[in-house]
Amino acid sequence: MPLSQYLRLMNVMARMALRADAARLFLGYIWWVLEPLLWVAVFYVVFVVILGTRQEDFLPFLMVGKLAFVWFSKSVTQASNAIVTGRGLVGKIAVPKTLFPMAAVQESIYRQAAVFALMFSYVLFEGFALTANWFYLVPLMVVNYIMVISCALVGACLVCIARDFAPLIGLFMMFLMFTSGIFWDVRSLDDPEKIHMILTANPLAFVLDGYRQILLHATPPDMVHLISIGAGFGALFCLMVLIMRKGDKYLALKALTA
Amino acid sequence: MMDDNRAIMLEMDSVYLSYHSGKKTFDDGTHHVLHDVSLRLYEGESLGVIGRNGVGKTTMLRLMAGILAPTGGAVDLTPGKSASLLTLGLGFKQDLSGRDNALLSAMLQGSTRKQAEAFLDEIHEFSDLGDSFFLPVKTYSSGMRARLAFTTALMTHVDILLIDEILSVGDAHFRGKALSAMKNRITGDQTVVFVSHILEQVKQLCDRVLWLDRGRIVALGGAQEVIESYTTAVNKEREVAQ
Repeated sequence: MPLSQYLRLMNVMARMALRADAARLFLGYIWWVLEPLLWVAVFYVVFVVILGTRQEDFLPFLMVGKLAFVWFSKSVTQASNAIVTGRGLVGKIAVPKTLFPMAAVQESIYRQAAVFALMFSYVLFEGFALTANWFYLVPLMVVNYIMVISCALVGACLVCIARDFAPLIGLFMMFLMFTSGIFWDVRSLDDPEKIHMILTANPLAFVLDGYRQILLHATPPDMVHLISIGAGFGALFCLMVLIMRKGDKYLALKALTA
Repeated sequence: MMDDNRAIMLEMDSVYLSYHSGKKTFDDGTHHVLHDVSLRLYEGESLGVIGRNGVGKTTMLRLMAGILAPTGGAVDLTPGKSASLLTLGLGFKQDLSGRDNALLSAMLQGSTRKQAEAFLDEIHEFSDLGDSFFLPVKTYSSGMRARLAFTTALMTHVDILLIDEILSVGDAHFRGKALSAMKNRITGDQTVVFVSHILEQVKQLCDRVLWLDRGRIVALGGAQEVIESYTTAVNKEREVAQ
């Protein structure tokens, strides 16, 4: 399949899925903005009203971390099930199996666009300045996207081979949520060595921290580190594409019979 | 009937397919779906495939369409030729309209968006769906779904059409219309593999017939004779059962 046809299909499948989803829900597309707004409300109640957190600017800190994390976790979780959920089509047409997770990721990009718009507006509303450093969001989001698609392909393969991986991926997302510094600030740890270790060992922690540095502290991320993360996940993505191309029919058999 | 001068479209050479279901049922959980199946499909012919449920008919079509790979033997599609599988039911997105589903189907079969949109009017017209064409597929009756699936399939152009049970549903009026549309395609130079339980249709549409039982070829030959021996075997089995 030519790349242009592949990309077109990926986009059409994503948009159709969004349309189907909106048609199923009473509030339709309103949910795109409503859901992240509800996140803010929940966090406000828990951390400000109940726990009375004193940390300065805690809510913006939390929002940026959480809403950026949601992109990763939702995309990868949904994409992991994409081949299996799409088995009706898998059994009908010989299309590259990467198309299913890639369309799922594309679908979440549309949703995330609304979430990011809300996140940026919220940050500005809280009085943080719009600086030239915001341009660093572009490479940061590109690297974030490369992380999403490579993990999406890994997840989709694993779940296709054995359904048992689906709950494991859910658990792993929970693990990432707690270890990537969403509710706590990696940089507030006492031991600088530990800070360095977490930001190096967990690329997601680095990326989430990057969003906060840019938006809340007007500081660009460490570009060398960022580019090396991008290169690493880029290599993983290429490897997965090759594996899935080679094992295309094996994955089809697994999706149809397991 | 067996005109070997015609170009070969697709060849199956001693094809086996088995898979491991993971659950220890029998034979260590391995299912043998197809066993030593060999055949040649010639350009312009229509081959019928008959047999009871679960003997490997759909799997055979999936191998021909390049959706699955054989565990043994080889399936060779002549280079440059395309094969497409048409089935009912699965594959539709329930919350999308018939129109959107048709558009997506056509694009998945390789059409560009423009080409696909050009098909839509034809599909709308032929399927007799009227305004329902713009309603979600979940509101459709099974007959309406069948009409949409058949029409979408009919409008796309491929070298080998693999048809799985698609003519056995819908009301009598549409079935007649579908059958004659199918006949038109077949009398042209369309190559067709046709799976059906309705032997009368197979007899009308196919030159050759393949009888499959438990993953093995029982008979492959002229439509008339294979169908006769199949009917005899089924009747005999029924008598024994009684």
